[in-house]
Amino acid sequence: MTGKKPFVWMLCVLATVAATTSASAATDGNAAAGAAKSKPCAACHGIDGDQTIDGQYPRIGGQYADYLLRAMQDYQNGRRDNAIMAGFVKELSTQDLADLAAFYAAQSGRLEDLSHLK
Amino acid sequence: MSLAILQRIAFPVLALASWHASAQTAPESTVPDATPATTVEAVTTTATALPPAPAAPVLMGNPEEGRLRVYTCTGCHGIAGYRNVYPTYHVPKIHGQNAAYLVSALTAYRSGQRKHPTMQAHGESLSDQDIADIAAYLSSAIKN
Repeated sequence: MTGKKPFVWMLCVLATVAATTSASAATDGNAAAGAAKSKPCAACHGIDGDQTIDGQYPRIGGQYADYLLRAMQDYQNGRRDNAIMAGFVKELSTQDLADLAAFYAAQSGRLEDLSHLK
Repeated sequence: MSLAILQRIAFPVLALASWHASAQTAPESTVPDATPATTVEAVTTTATALPPAPAAPVLMGNPEEGRLRVYTCTGCHGIAGYRNVYPTYHVPKIHGQNAAYLVSALTAYRSGQRKHPTMQAHGESLSDQDIADIAAYLSSAIKN
């Protein structure tokens, strides 16, 4: 039985390495470049991603960049179904999306996690 | 591309134009402070500008009820920097989010239209009123 333990440990190490690698493999975004590309987004999300023109559009200012990138990629590949967002992200490269995500993540919005409730 | 999709894409452009026009005359709009009865009115206010949407009942959310309900949410959304895995990305910040968006997101998770197994499981335990309550509470901004 004890002979199997190193194998289990190795699996754990491999899983950790795989998780870390996939996280760091995300494209690095440039917030300044994202600002220049953010004009169409401002029509609904507001110039800083916080001053949304209507409650149906989410606040995105101050949101985590990797969550925003994932959301936009999901709109691109159809995993998230929204005609407006699909139209906007259709022609954008992964670098464009990463830049936009970096820009909005860098804004100071109202969004917060719920850690103050714990 | 169908006319309906074109109309949907055209809306934000028109909205931008009107936003620019209003921004020049009106002072910067602010979100009202948290009040005991936050409504989910935004779902219907845009109905005139967008193509006809399925009529959804507008429920008045009770933030006090919502505050009790979000305790479950803190298991993931209450840990600063907590990450979803496979794929890996941060669990989003949801306090301060807009009520109408939260209602549509939770409803879409519940139906499976928006795919996330954990969120779907949570959504399935919620009634429309529960969702309205949660949205009312979370949308009451605590940060200025």
